[in-house]
Amino acid sequence: MLGRILHLLIKEFLQLRRDKSARFRLLIPPIVQMVLFGYAATFEVFNVSTVILDQDRSQESRALEDAFLRSSRFALAAPARRVADVRDAVEASDAQLGIVIPAGFAELLRKGQTAPLQVLVDGTNSNSALIALGYVGQIAGDFGQTYAQNLAERTGRLQGKPIVSVEVAERYWYNPNLNSRWFFVPGVIGTLTLITIVNLTAFAIVREREVGTLEQILVTPIRPFEFIIGKTLPFFLIGLLEVSIVAGVGMAWFRVPFRGNPLVLLLGTCLFLFATLAIGLLISTICRTQQQAFSSNFFVLNPMFILSGFSFPIASMPPVLQWLTYVDPLRYYLVIIRATFLKGVGLEALWPQMLALAAIAAVLLAAAVLRFRKSLD
Amino acid sequence: MKLRRIQAIAVKEALQIVRDPRSLMIALLVPLMQMVIFGYGVNLDIRHIPLCVLDHENGQQSRNLVARFAASNYFSLRRAAGSDREVAQALDEGDCGIALVIPADFSQRLNDGGRATVQALLDGTDSNTANIAAGYAKSVVAAFSAAAQLDAVQRRGGTLQTQTPVGVEARVWFNEALESRNFIVPGIVALVMAIVGAQLTSLTIAREWERGTMELLVSTPVQPMELMIGKLLPYFAVGLADAAICLGLAVFWFEVPFHGTVATLLFTSSLFLTVVLCIGYLVSVSIRSQVGASQVALLATMLPTTLLSGFSFPIEQMPAAVQAATFLVSARYYVEILKAVFLKGAGVVELAVPILCLALYAAVVVVLAARAFRKTLD
Amino acid sequence: MNPPDAALATTSAAPAIAVDGLTKRFGAFTALDGVSFAAGQGEIMGFLGPNGAGKSTLIRILCGLLHPSAGQARVAGIDVARQPEAVRARIGYMSQKFSLYGDLSVVENLRFFAGIYSVPRAEMAGRIAYAVAMAGLGGQENTLVANLAGGWKQRLALGAAILHRPPVLFLDEPTSGVDPESRRRFWELIHTLSGDGVTVLVSTHYMDEAEYCHRIALIARGRLIALGTPLEIKRHSLDGELLALACADLGRALPLVQGAAGVRDAALFGSRIHVTVDEAARRGPELEALLAARGIAGATARPIAPTMEDSFVSLVGKAALNAATSANAAGARP
Repeated sequence: MLGRILHLLIKEFLQLRRDKSARFRLLIPPIVQMVLFGYAATFEVFNVSTVILDQDRSQESRALEDAFLRSSRFALAAPARRVADVRDAVEASDAQLGIVIPAGFAELLRKGQTAPLQVLVDGTNSNSALIALGYVGQIAGDFGQTYAQNLAERTGRLQGKPIVSVEVAERYWYNPNLNSRWFFVPGVIGTLTLITIVNLTAFAIVREREVGTLEQILVTPIRPFEFIIGKTLPFFLIGLLEVSIVAGVGMAWFRVPFRGNPLVLLLGTCLFLFATLAIGLLISTICRTQQQAFSSNFFVLNPMFILSGFSFPIASMPPVLQWLTYVDPLRYYLVIIRATFLKGVGLEALWPQMLALAAIAAVLLAAAVLRFRKSLD
Repeated sequence: MKLRRIQAIAVKEALQIVRDPRSLMIALLVPLMQMVIFGYGVNLDIRHIPLCVLDHENGQQSRNLVARFAASNYFSLRRAAGSDREVAQALDEGDCGIALVIPADFSQRLNDGGRATVQALLDGTDSNTANIAAGYAKSVVAAFSAAAQLDAVQRRGGTLQTQTPVGVEARVWFNEALESRNFIVPGIVALVMAIVGAQLTSLTIAREWERGTMELLVSTPVQPMELMIGKLLPYFAVGLADAAICLGLAVFWFEVPFHGTVATLLFTSSLFLTVVLCIGYLVSVSIRSQVGASQVALLATMLPTTLLSGFSFPIEQMPAAVQAATFLVSARYYVEILKAVFLKGAGVVELAVPILCLALYAAVVVVLAARAFRKTLD
Repeated sequence: MNPPDAALATTSAAPAIAVDGLTKRFGAFTALDGVSFAAGQGEIMGFLGPNGAGKSTLIRILCGLLHPSAGQARVAGIDVARQPEAVRARIGYMSQKFSLYGDLSVVENLRFFAGIYSVPRAEMAGRIAYAVAMAGLGGQENTLVANLAGGWKQRLALGAAILHRPPVLFLDEPTSGVDPESRRRFWELIHTLSGDGVTVLVSTHYMDEAEYCHRIALIARGRLIALGTPLEIKRHSLDGELLALACADLGRALPLVQGAAGVRDAALFGSRIHVTVDEAARRGPELEALLAARGIAGATARPIAPTMEDSFVSLVGKAALNAATSANAAGARP
C-alpha cells in the first residue's frame, strides 16, 4: 500500500516539476497578494481630508485649528471662506470632514461656558466617519480641558474644573499601537491558503477525470483511499510550504510579531489543511469538468471568506449567520493563527478551536472519501 | 460586422440558456444567496462587545458603573472575573474583547479627592474593534462621571459650571445614522455582480471547445467581434436580471436609502455588467490553452474585489502604490458609483470620472477579448 | 438580387481547389510535406491515409483553420492564407467530431447556421426545408439533435454545411462510427451534390468508400504518395502482377514464396498469400510446383485484380521504406 502511494506521489511531483507555470502560480501570486493586501486591508484613519472654516478668528480658534492640523489624523483639503464652501466641499466629496468654528467661540470659552464646534461629516463610509468623529471629539476635548485648566490657574477661579471625575485608563493588549496590519496579515495568510489549496485539489482530480487518466489509475489495484492520500499529500505539503512562505513574508515585510509556539501553529495549520483538502475533494466529486469546478470554487470560497471573521466581526452578524460560521474552518484557523502570532497563547487557550477544526476535517474527509467512491460507480 | 450573424448567435445562445433551466436558476439564485449572506455577514457596526468585569470593590458606585456598561448596547457582560488571572485568561482565549477593572478604593477616591480611575484592558488583536470599543467605554464612563458630578454639585447646593469647554455638534450627511450597512450593501452589489457576471460567461467559449462545436464555428465566416457580441447579449439580459435582484434586495430588503435615479443606476449597471461579462469571456477564451488561468482568475477576482474595491477598506487610506493597483479593479468604479447614487443621489454628471473609467476599462477588455480569440487552431 | 451562390461559384476555368507545395510543421514535427494537387468543379476527391498521415491537417489548412508553414493553397480561386474569411464564406465543413448543438432542435440548428452564413431571409425557409428533406428528417424538425441517431446526425450536419450552397465542401472523416446503410445513403447525397457542381473533398479510412470517389489522393507521413482514379491507383500501385496463393500451412509457405524467383513482395491476406510477381502467367505454376516439392499440399495460385487495400498497403509500405532509407542516408552523412 505504501509503495503504491509512494509511486503516485512521485508521479505528482514529476508533473509539478515539469509544469513551470504551476510553480510560478503557486509562489508569486500569494507573495504579491500578501504584500498588496497587507497594505490594503486597514481600518486605520489618517489624513482625513478636512475643510476648516474659522469664523471667530481669535487666538483660541487658531490654536484649536492648529491642534487639528498638527495631529496626523486630519489634512487640510481646501480653503473655506463661507459656510457654503464647507458644505460644497463635503457634498462634492472634496472633503470627508468639515469643521466650523463659529463666531463667539473664544468669548464663550473665556466665560467658562460650552463653546460649540460645528462638524459636518460624510457618513458614506460609516466606519471611517465614526473613527474620524472620535478623533475630533478627542482633540476638541483635550484642547478644552487644557484651556479650562489654564484659565482656572490664571484667574484663580475653579471655573470649569470638575469636582468629580472618573477617567478610563485604557491599555491595548497584544497590539499596543493598534496596528491594524497585525490583525490583517495573519488573516491574509489563512485566506490565501484556503483559496489556493481548495482550488488546487479540486482541479487536480477533476482534470484527471476529464482527461480520462482517473479511470486508467482506478483500474489498477490501487484503492480509492490510497488514491486520495497519494493525490492530496502533495497539496498538503504545498500548503505547508505556502503558509511558511506567506507567513515569512508577512513577518519580514510588515514586522508582525510571532509570540507563540510554532508547533501549536503547525498543528492548527495541519488540521486546517485537512479540512481544505477535504473541501477540494468534495468539490471534485461533484464536478465533471474543470469549468464546473471553477464556478463551484467561487460559490463555496466566497461565503467562507466573508463569514470567517477576516474583517467583519462575527459577533455583529445575525444569529443564523453566526451558526453558519461554526462550520467554516477558516473561522477557527484565523483565531488560531492570530492568537499564536499576537497573543502567544498555546493549546490551553486554543483547544476549542483545534477540536472544532479536527471535527470539521474528520467529517468532511469522511464525506469526501464516501462521495469519491460513489462518484466512481 | 453583420447584424444578421450577431442575431443568429444571440438567438442560439438564448435558446441554450433557456434549454438549461437548472443553470439559469443557479444564475439567478446564486446572487440572491450571496447577497443575503454578504448583506448580513458584512457588517462593521460594532455592538455587543463581550465584556469581562473585575470589580475589586463591589460597592454601590462600582456596581452602578458596571450596570451602565451592561445596559449599553455596545457591550454585553460575558464574565465576572474574580482575579487578574481570570481576566488574562478571558482575553487570551478571545472570550472577551474588553475587560473593565475597578480598583478596590474606587468609591473612596471618588468621595475624597473627586478623582478615580478605572482600567480598560482591550484585546488589540482586532485593532478596529479595540479602537471603537475604547471609544464606547470612554463615553459610558464619561456619562457616569457627569452624573456623579451633577450629584456632587447638587449635594453641595451649587450649580454646575460647564464640564465640556468645547462641545462638538456633529452632523452626518448621506448616512445620518452612521450605519455601516448603508455603505456596505451597495458595495456588496458590486462585489456579487463582479463575481456572478464573470462566472456567467467564463464557461461559454470553453464549453464550445469541449463539445467540438467550436471547430465548425470557426470554419464559418463569423467574426470574433460578432461572436462575442452575439454570445454576450443573452447573458447581458441574465446579468441585468441579477443586477435587478441585487439592487432590489438592497433597497427593499436591507432598506438602504436610495436617493438617486433608476436611470442612472440602469446606465451605470449596464456599463459595469459589460465589463464583467467581457472579463468572463476573456477568461473563457484563454482558459482553453491554460488550465491555470482559473487559478489566477480566482485569486485575481475574489480577494482583490473584496479588498481593493473600496467597498469596505477606504482606498484613500492605502499607500500610493496600492492605490494605483486599485485602478485595475473594475469593481472599484462601480462601488464608487453605487455609493454615490444610493447615498448622495449623484447623477451621471457628478459621476463622469468613474463612468469614463469604466467605459475605458470596457473598451480595453473588449479589445483584449476579441484579440485573444483566434479563428485558427494553431 | 442574385443568389449568392451564383456570385460565389468558381469560374470553370480555374480549378476549385489548387494546392501547391503545401507544408505544415508543428514544432519539429512535419505534418504535411510539400503536397500539391488540384481538384476540378464537381469533382469528388477522396483522401486516404493511415491515422496521423496529415489528412485532417490538410483539410484544416484548406478551411483556413491552420496557417500553412510553406506553399500555397487556393480554394474557389482564393488564397486561404491571405483571405481566410473570403474562403470561409465559400466552403462547407464537416469535422471529425459531430459538432452541431445537441441542446438545440433540428430546425434551430439549421436556422443558426443559415444566420451565420447570411443566407438571404427570403430563401431561408426553402433551404432549411431542403436540408431537412435531404437528411430525411421530415417530421422531426423539432426534435433535439442530441436525441437523433448517429446516421441522421451526420446527414443533418451535411445539410447544415450546404445551407449557403458553397461551391466547395470539406468532409473530414464524415462517416466514422456510422452504420453501413447510413454510409451508403450519405455517399448518395455526396454524389447528388457533385452532380450539382459542388466540389467535395472527403477524407476517409474506409477502403470501400474510396471507390466512390472520382479521384483518390493517398497520403502517408505528410506526403502525397499517389493520386489518380481508383482504377489508376490500383493498376499502377504494384510493380508487377498479383497472384492469390492458397495452400496448407501458410506460415511455412510464406518465407519460401518470398525467396522464390520473380517474387517482389508477398504478404498474408486472410487465408491466402498475395504475391506480387513480375509475370503472373509464368510465376503461378512455378510457385505451385515449388510448394508441392517442399511437401506443402494443395497449392493453387491464380491471378487476381488488386483491391484498394492491396494498393494502399503496398504504397504505404514503399513510402515507409523510402523514408527509412532517406533517414539513414541523412544519418550516415558526416
